[in-house]
Amino acid sequence: MKPMKNTFRLMAGAAVLAISAAAVNAQDMSAYPPLAPLGDPPIPLDNPMSDAKVELGKILFWDPRVGGDASTACVTCHEPDQGWAFSDSLSRGYPGTVHWRNSQSVVNAAYLGQLFWAGAAASLEKQAPSAAKGAVAGNGENDVMETRLAFIPEYRERFNDVFGTEYPLIGDAWNAIAAFERTLIVNDTPVDRYLAGDESALTEEQIAGMELFNGKAGCIQCHNGAQATDENYYNLGVPPAERWEEDGLAQVTFRYEIFAKGVTQDMYRVLHDDPGLYFRTKEPMHMGLFRTPPLRYTLYTAPYMHNGAFWDLEEVVRFYNAGGGENDFTDGTMASTKTPLLHPLGLTDDEVDQLVAFLEAFSGDELEVEAPELPPYAPLDAQ
Amino acid sequence: MKISRFKSGLAPTLGAALMCATVLSGPVAAQDTAIGPVVGPEINEARAALGRRLFFDKRLSGDAAIACATCHQPENGFADGLALSLAYPGSKGFRNTPTLINTALAENWFHDGRIGTNLNDVTRESITEDYMMNMDMRLMQERVKQDPVYVQMFADAGYGEPSNGSIRKAIPEYLNTLISHGSDFDEGTMSESAQRGQELFEGKAGCIDCHYGPRFTDDQAHNIGVPENPEIWSDPMRHMTYAAFASFMGVENYMNIRQDVGAQIIRHPADGSDIGKFNTPTLRELVYTAPYMHNGMFKNLSDVVAFYNAGGEDTPNLDERVRPLGLTFLEQQDLVAFLEALSGDPLTGPEYVWEDPIPTNYTAIENWREQTN
Ligand code: HEC
Ligand code: HEC
Ligand code: HEC
Ligand code: HEC
Repeated sequence: MKPMKNTFRLMAGAAVLAISAAAVNAQDMSAYPPLAPLGDPPIPLDNPMSDAKVELGKILFWDPRVGGDASTACVTCHEPDQGWAFSDSLSRGYPGTVHWRNSQSVVNAAYLGQLFWAGAAASLEKQAPSAAKGAVAGNGENDVMETRLAFIPEYRERFNDVFGTEYPLIGDAWNAIAAFERTLIVNDTPVDRYLAGDESALTEEQIAGMELFNGKAGCIQCHNGAQATDENYYNLGVPPAERWEEDGLAQVTFRYEIFAKGVTQDMYRVLHDDPGLYFRTKEPMHMGLFRTPPLRYTLYTAPYMHNGAFWDLEEVVRFYNAGGGENDFTDGTMASTKTPLLHPLGLTDDEVDQLVAFLEAFSGDELEVEAPELPPYAPLDAQ
Repeated sequence: MKISRFKSGLAPTLGAALMCATVLSGPVAAQDTAIGPVVGPEINEARAALGRRLFFDKRLSGDAAIACATCHQPENGFADGLALSLAYPGSKGFRNTPTLINTALAENWFHDGRIGTNLNDVTRESITEDYMMNMDMRLMQERVKQDPVYVQMFADAGYGEPSNGSIRKAIPEYLNTLISHGSDFDEGTMSESAQRGQELFEGKAGCIDCHYGPRFTDDQAHNIGVPENPEIWSDPMRHMTYAAFASFMGVENYMNIRQDVGAQIIRHPADGSDIGKFNTPTLRELVYTAPYMHNGMFKNLSDVVAFYNAGGEDTPNLDERVRPLGLTFLEQQDLVAFLEALSGDPLTGPEYVWEDPIPTNYTAIENWREQTN
């Protein structure tokens, strides 16, 4: 393996990969950081939390005026009753479009160092503007969104209170939204309580599932540590989205994304699958790699994977049991980047059920938040 | 403004456009100043037909809700009949939609004349501007490529496969077809009243000083003292659109001004001498394009003439040629009759209007995985 750019935190993964590519057995598994109860999320020094900021961020998260045609808010694709995600394989898009990836939950995003399926944003503060501005997401522009906020007296007051500015600044809107997202935390799932010492928190079936997770099924190789992710990148062979073959609107977005993300003309012509991390590094060996997602709260966030290929957790587990799958970057046509960490697991039906039961215990209760009232525009008097 | 996007590259282009506008505002060549029929450019039929379909296609806007023709409506002389224009959903306009008839022959564009290069740039600006069509042109290109009718039309037009670049050529080619013809003035069938009006226009009323040439415009900006439209400042959705525009254009103190500064945004003279200047519009096709002026403040031509007769509103930088004219009531009527005689046949036939339904969805490409993109 070629050394990777250290900005992507792939070095540790590469080392680990060398160990586990040999033969997977229970002993190797102990080399990985064990699952652990999830503590509080990190709070960046330059965006401290306050109740007023969180409340402001919550209103903005619901406000479609933070976007192009004032129709599509963050909450439109991150719906609280759909796991703070969107329950379709490909997310709905900005009007007139469909997205090209599955909508991720914003629950527990606060813990992640790299946001999006391929890790393209380094913080929640940086993620929010790219969501609000992307042509198939919010399609907003900074100057328009910022000016709209200035014509909403309640926002002028709230921004002034939190940030001390005369008129709202769009950068502060992202800070407030990020602060709100840092309150969307689920860290008291049955698994967390069990790991913290409450042995009654899991059923026997779930405990058996956890043992498989940590052992025979090898999930711990990637879904490890307190966050259940190594924040590393792998190609599991998730099959390409069927919608790209059947739906003209999805084909438009697919080409737009590869065009906009700047691949070569030749590459633009031949790509028919999402190359993931490759967009960021342009390294062929990164084709089809996606970030290991954290597993908490997944009970509510179906469908699964970067393109929503699987509709329930059992399907996911059966996919792993078969040793992963095939896509355009596994068969050598475009690349052969499938992770050697996956191989048929030989799980029995009972074991599959146990693993699913364990995954379900990783979710806890649904996180409900009361929708805020959106403040109205008003004429602005000259100062 | 979508400065952040590939599509636009607006900042440098606008700079060049603005410079050009300044250069062009010198004295006008003598042969252009005579009033007479409008002669349009040569037309490439295949390209104009393609531009026509694009002009009527809502998929050219970000959320696929509006087309060029939503605001530039053939039955309203390619204006919209409103004082202040519509805008992209979520915003409202702060200017009156101008006619596009004869715009192919203009030297600079928009009420403030801020684009002085060509209609290719005006088209790009209209497509990408947040409050117009708010479109990422890369997405637009992929939408157009998905429509087999377009793929054929681009090939027929000699453009090869659909691209942003050729979209921005085809629409101006269509605009080249929007040329006035058939007016009483051009046909020599003016009423006596209109003939008397023409004399006033060229004489006592002094309109010819600024409204000359086949299109009846000097293509320059002047302050003629049109009153502000208070709705821009009382409707937050219009005001915010103007404020975002003014901020982008580098207008100082943009949150506190309550005036459309017009051409001031081009050179920003320190003494503010371009504040309130707007481009002289064409006087052709006026019967279709009410209300009038950059902010739609006048409902009909009698009001416009009465306004000129009173010498405009007293504002700083008022052009000295705008002064009380002392026209009698009948003279004012004659002047209106002349203005009306400058309107020709409506451009509402199939050579101007795309009449076939344009799909709003996209058919899937068959055997997608086997095709090259
Ligand atoms: C049109 C639908 C849509 C809208 C609107 C939208 N999102 Fe998303 N969001 C998605 C999709 C799809 C992804 C995954 C995209 C990818 O990986 O390329 C995502 C990813 C995210 C993530 C990353 C989570 C992770 O695990 O890495 C966060 C955080 C997020 N969105 C927050 C927001 C915020 C904040 C807003 C509003 C400013 C917003 N989203 C608006 C669809 C949307
Ligand atoms: C080689 C590293 C690796 C191993 C081993 C692994 N995963 Fe994953 N997991 C990933 C990656 C990467 C993704 C996202 C892949 C994609 O979207 O293409 C993922 C996705 C998932 C998802 C979907 C999450 C969501 O939000 O959509 C679930 C559930 C999951 N894994 C469970 C498991 C289980 C259970 C095991 C053990 C049987 C396992 N994983 C083993 C790396 C791994
Ligand atoms: C939302 C309404 C709207 C849409 C959509 C729209 N326009 Fe316009 N157009 C206007 C307004 C308003 C102006 C004057 C703007 C100004 O002066 O700042 C204008 C000005 C123009 C001008 C300059 C005319 C002149 O004589 O100065 C041209 C040319 C033009 N538009 C072409 C187009 C084309 C081509 C499209 C589609 C790609 C389009 N417009 C879409 C409202 C619209
Ligand atoms: C000093 C130059 C000047 C003179 C003299 C002048 N105009 Fe104008 N005219 C303009 C300008 C500039 C505008 C646009 C002003 C605006 O939009 O605020 C205009 C606008 C108009 C309009 C509105 C057109 C539209 O589409 O909205 C009409 C009609 C008109 N003039 C007729 C006349 C008549 C009749 C006279 C003579 C009585 C006259 N003008 C004299 C410069 C002049």
